[in-house]
Amino acid sequence: MRERGGLIDGLHYRLGRSVLIGVPLAILVIWTTIPIVWAVLASFKDPLEIYESNTLLPANPSLDAYKTVLSMRGFDQWLFNSVFVTVVATIVPLAISILAAYGFSRYAFRFRHILLLLYLVPRIIPRVSLIVPLNNLMSDLGLVNTYWVLFITYTASAIPLATWILVGFFGSIPKEIEESATIDGANMWNRLRRVILPIAWPGVVTAGVLCIREAWNEFAFVLALINETDMRTLPYQLYMLKDSMGVQDYAVYNAFTILTVLPLLIVYLLLERRVVDSIVSGAVK
Amino acid sequence: MSTTRHDLDVLTAGERASEFVKLLAPYILVIPGLAFVLGVLGYAVVGGVGLSLNETDMFLNQTFVGLKNYVSIFEDPRFQSSLWKTIVFVVSSIALGIVMSMVFALTLYHVGFGRRFFRGLSLVPYFVSGIAAAVMFRFIFTTSGGFVNYILESFGLPAPSWLGDPILAFIVAVLANCWFMVPFATLILLGGLQTIDRDIYEAAKLDGATGLKTFFRITLPLIKPMMGVSLIWVSYISFSTFDIILALTAGGPLRATELISVYMYEIAFLQLDFGQGSVLMVVLLTFNTVLSLVYLKFFVLNDRRYKTAT
Repeated sequence: MRERGGLIDGLHYRLGRSVLIGVPLAILVIWTTIPIVWAVLASFKDPLEIYESNTLLPANPSLDAYKTVLSMRGFDQWLFNSVFVTVVATIVPLAISILAAYGFSRYAFRFRHILLLLYLVPRIIPRVSLIVPLNNLMSDLGLVNTYWVLFITYTASAIPLATWILVGFFGSIPKEIEESATIDGANMWNRLRRVILPIAWPGVVTAGVLCIREAWNEFAFVLALINETDMRTLPYQLYMLKDSMGVQDYAVYNAFTILTVLPLLIVYLLLERRVVDSIVSGAVK
Repeated sequence: MSTTRHDLDVLTAGERASEFVKLLAPYILVIPGLAFVLGVLGYAVVGGVGLSLNETDMFLNQTFVGLKNYVSIFEDPRFQSSLWKTIVFVVSSIALGIVMSMVFALTLYHVGFGRRFFRGLSLVPYFVSGIAAAVMFRFIFTTSGGFVNYILESFGLPAPSWLGDPILAFIVAVLANCWFMVPFATLILLGGLQTIDRDIYEAAKLDGATGLKTFFRITLPLIKPMMGVSLIWVSYISFSTFDIILALTAGGPLRATELISVYMYEIAFLQLDFGQGSVLMVVLLTFNTVLSLVYLKFFVLNDRRYKTAT
């Protein structure tokens, strides 16, 4: 008798459990995907069809909106700007942060603590709060409307993040591994390249992806420091689309949105495992 | 190493140089990054405080005026109202954001199939720019042709003008902000859940603890540090929300969503008053720093495990 009770309880328990998990899981999936899916659907629709809210799926899916975006005057330039700035603002801060993280995790030196703090405190400074003084500084230096201003500001704001991640990864590598390389006569540069970086590679990849994300999606700095049409990045242009398109073509608007989001999502999909693992393991904070 | 040269206790010039380099090495490694961080971010903070104490005239000449900008900003009714809106926005974003993150984290922790897939999927919004997220939310909530009203109408319910109504627009802004910030907090909390030893739950079950009791008495205290990190993240994002608001509502309708960051942009870049704009920067910075320190103190530093680890 007890057994049967146990079995029925078990069934109840499992049913209850799958509802308890299934409902929030469905909400999670819908909540996460709907904004993107809706934009994708709209980008394939006929512009007039979007106004008639009685359709969910596009009646005659067409790529016209994407063709319009790709042939927009300036699209090539904005895409180039975004890619160029992102590449520089990923490689430079990553290189600088690898050196800094090595210094912090492998040496005991005076002021180590306070220097590390100076690296990390900027992480709680809201980026948007800096746009007023930065605009002032960069105007004085004559750097407004140049790639330099984006390289410099993006690099500066990516370094604390990347260094923080890498200090964690480098610090978890046992010193003995490196010491054996020292005995073999490897200098610091070789130890970093042959020993530390291969072991901490997941950390470097994660830091890299997050630098790419910061630069690709950045808006406050580019809004404050760039005002020439040719120097805009894709998010900036997406924002300006609101004003520059007289009659709103929602299909084109959505296609533009998808095209600005897609490259970064592809990078994420390729490296998803490393990034998710790093965040879940608490290496990214 | 010099210990092998026991016949001479004086180092040769070359050795002395290499000792010197070794001593300097960490500084050399650390300084380039520091130059960027202090030169750009540090300068901006100090420069911003400086600007807030000065008045800039139309020829960009600056005169020191002390706290005058602060006084006029704090007396400005538009600032007072944007301060209240920011507080309501941040508090409701944190409340909704943390509950959602916790529910999603528990879901991802317990899900029995496709765990990797759902985890990967849950982080996707983290990679969508604030501008794109705002544009997507605009199209979900547009009056005709929006997804939400499509659903409402198909159930025969009234279709409101979401972004035309001050209160509804504020709610949509909070939702868009949550969409953007919840994924990262979810994975941080999931990481916390995964560190908990499953035996603890078995023991609690034997003691007759129910689900909710287990959650509040065991799970929550054990993930306190991750909760602190998530809270820092969601309040940081909510305080600095700027791109989402600008692209979603541009502060409207009727300034209903004009948060401090949006007002700061307007004062500094449209009215070209750098002094008062910088006052708002100082306000934003102070709020965010104080809040972060409070979380650090209560959630991370006070945690027993952190204390034993250091």
